[in-house]
Amino acid sequence: MFDFIGDLWIRFTGTLFEQALQPTLYALGLMDWADDAFQWMDFFLFGLFSVGVVYAVCRPLEAWRPVERWADRRDVGTDIIYTLLARLGILPLLAFILLASVDAWVIGTIADSGWVPPSLENLWPALRESPLLAFAVYVVVLDFGEYWRHRFQHRIGWWWALHSLHHAQTQMTFWTDDRNHILDDCLGALWFGGLALLIGVPPGQFPLVALVLRLAESLSHANVRLSFGSVGERLVVSPRFHRLHHGVLSAGESGRNYAVLLPIWDWIFGTADFRRDQFPLTGDPDASPVLVHGGWFAQQIEGGRRLWGVLRRG
Amino acid sequence: MRVLILLLTLAFVAPAHADLLYVLNSGDADIQVLDAGTREEVRRISVLREAHHLVWAPDRSVLLIGDSGGNEMLFIQPATGEVIRRERISNPYHMEFSPDGKHLVVTSLRRNQVDIYNWDGADLTLAARLRVSDKPSHLAYRPDSKVVYVTLQGTRSLIAISLETNQPLWTMEVGRDPAGVIWHRDRLLIGIMGSDNVAVVNAETRVVERRVVVGRGAHALFVGPNDGPVYVTSRVDSRITVLDPGSLAVLHAWNVPGGPDCLTFDPEGRVWATLRWAGRVGLVDVESGTMEETRVGRSPHGVLFVPRRDVAAAVPAPAP
Repeated sequence: MFDFIGDLWIRFTGTLFEQALQPTLYALGLMDWADDAFQWMDFFLFGLFSVGVVYAVCRPLEAWRPVERWADRRDVGTDIIYTLLARLGILPLLAFILLASVDAWVIGTIADSGWVPPSLENLWPALRESPLLAFAVYVVVLDFGEYWRHRFQHRIGWWWALHSLHHAQTQMTFWTDDRNHILDDCLGALWFGGLALLIGVPPGQFPLVALVLRLAESLSHANVRLSFGSVGERLVVSPRFHRLHHGVLSAGESGRNYAVLLPIWDWIFGTADFRRDQFPLTGDPDASPVLVHGGWFAQQIEGGRRLWGVLRRG
Repeated sequence: MRVLILLLTLAFVAPAHADLLYVLNSGDADIQVLDAGTREEVRRISVLREAHHLVWAPDRSVLLIGDSGGNEMLFIQPATGEVIRRERISNPYHMEFSPDGKHLVVTSLRRNQVDIYNWDGADLTLAARLRVSDKPSHLAYRPDSKVVYVTLQGTRSLIAISLETNQPLWTMEVGRDPAGVIWHRDRLLIGIMGSDNVAVVNAETRVVERRVVVGRGAHALFVGPNDGPVYVTSRVDSRITVLDPGSLAVLHAWNVPGGPDCLTFDPEGRVWATLRWAGRVGLVDVESGTMEETRVGRSPHGVLFVPRRDVAAAVPAPAP
């Protein structure tokens, strides 16, 4: 069954690449990027697929047991635009291409000394024979990185100026996950991509790791009264766990529940809140109306203005 | 009757050595070893990242397979696919042994480096590392083993490197995105991937003497068995073109969907091709140009047919 689906996918992507993308690359004189383009086309299509899967899972949940109901959902519409821009891999793709070039230069320069860069499998040989275990370890390491990035987004003034755009949403749904300032997205992509290259995540697995984390993030933002139970809440970030992070009293530096996929990081570093009956309203009381209700472009400008304000004040 | 029983018993007990086909699935981080007759998988070898190319050791006792992203060279027992050892090597992409068997040159597509290793019959020792311009791709040697030629995919050029001084000799422009290169009868033949032709280069005069049109995305080149025809894969037109070894005139052009990349030949003269975008290997009948496909992993790249005679020779005789 899985073989059949896998083969169907390979045939579909292969045909699309052969008939459309590769001839385009050829016409544009970009054939030396063909191998990378083939991988990223996979990612792009997988992105489309994942948006469909997320919608199919989260939308019925939100209709079933919503925490809040809104008559006017225009602000949710803006989040959909954010999602489509981010999920189709445009920003991660740019970051990865840039980082791959930088990586080639840095590692090439280091290689002159005779030093061969390591990977997690070199440091922990058991991973070598178990690709699934290796994949899980990469997810854990990258998730740990994401936890700390998130904490810095709240702790560092200028970074919070950008990230507050994400917290301004008072109609939080599964679409809200990608509601970010473009500079914040760039920093996130550099952080994530940089760590991925540092620990040697293979390019072929990189999109899959990103996808796993992103799927979890979407569900955690869903407008659904859903907790994973006393044990489950400690294993995987739930919509309830993350809603506490988005609660109006949690905005800014006094945040909690920063984890993206694994709550254990909040547990370890003392930022966890496991109260299972709490489903607070979301939003940032300090956010301007534009940041809450504006369109994509207006919010980007406003986020940039806030950043400039913080930087100017020093 | 006893003789018949004995023969039947031997038929089941004695090792039935099969022709083997090694397929490097660059998108799946593994190597498949197939029984070339039945196409059944005999063994699957995990690699760390992405294996692209493989090469026989000069004495054909071992296969070397480069895992470029994983920075490893795998030494494989060709008869069984058993991993003999793994060695830390910086980003081995394409590689070839020099004709005299003394050097292994390795290109690192993503690191803009060319490594020259000395080979003593068992071990590799890094002799020199050259920093070159963008994307060193494939390589070929002058028959006297004194010069290696490397295509530089990102800079439309070919670089000649002396194996006596380990220093670059010259660079020349050959066409957009040059990929595969072979030495063929006093000329270099280069697949121009950003175009539709094979550039015929005179390495002495450093002149592109002519261009043989084969199909868009001309990629890799292979000389058939017994110094026979030259086979060229074209990725965009998805084609294998057969050239006359003397005149380089086009003898055949087979359209093979799936993005043919690397080729290998069996003793019957049939052509095995990896089909990068289709996740398959194809077996092309050279008489009819028809192709049978076998499903393998994602993005299969390097491929090698190991004939039964090599397999049998490499397997130790059973104890009496």
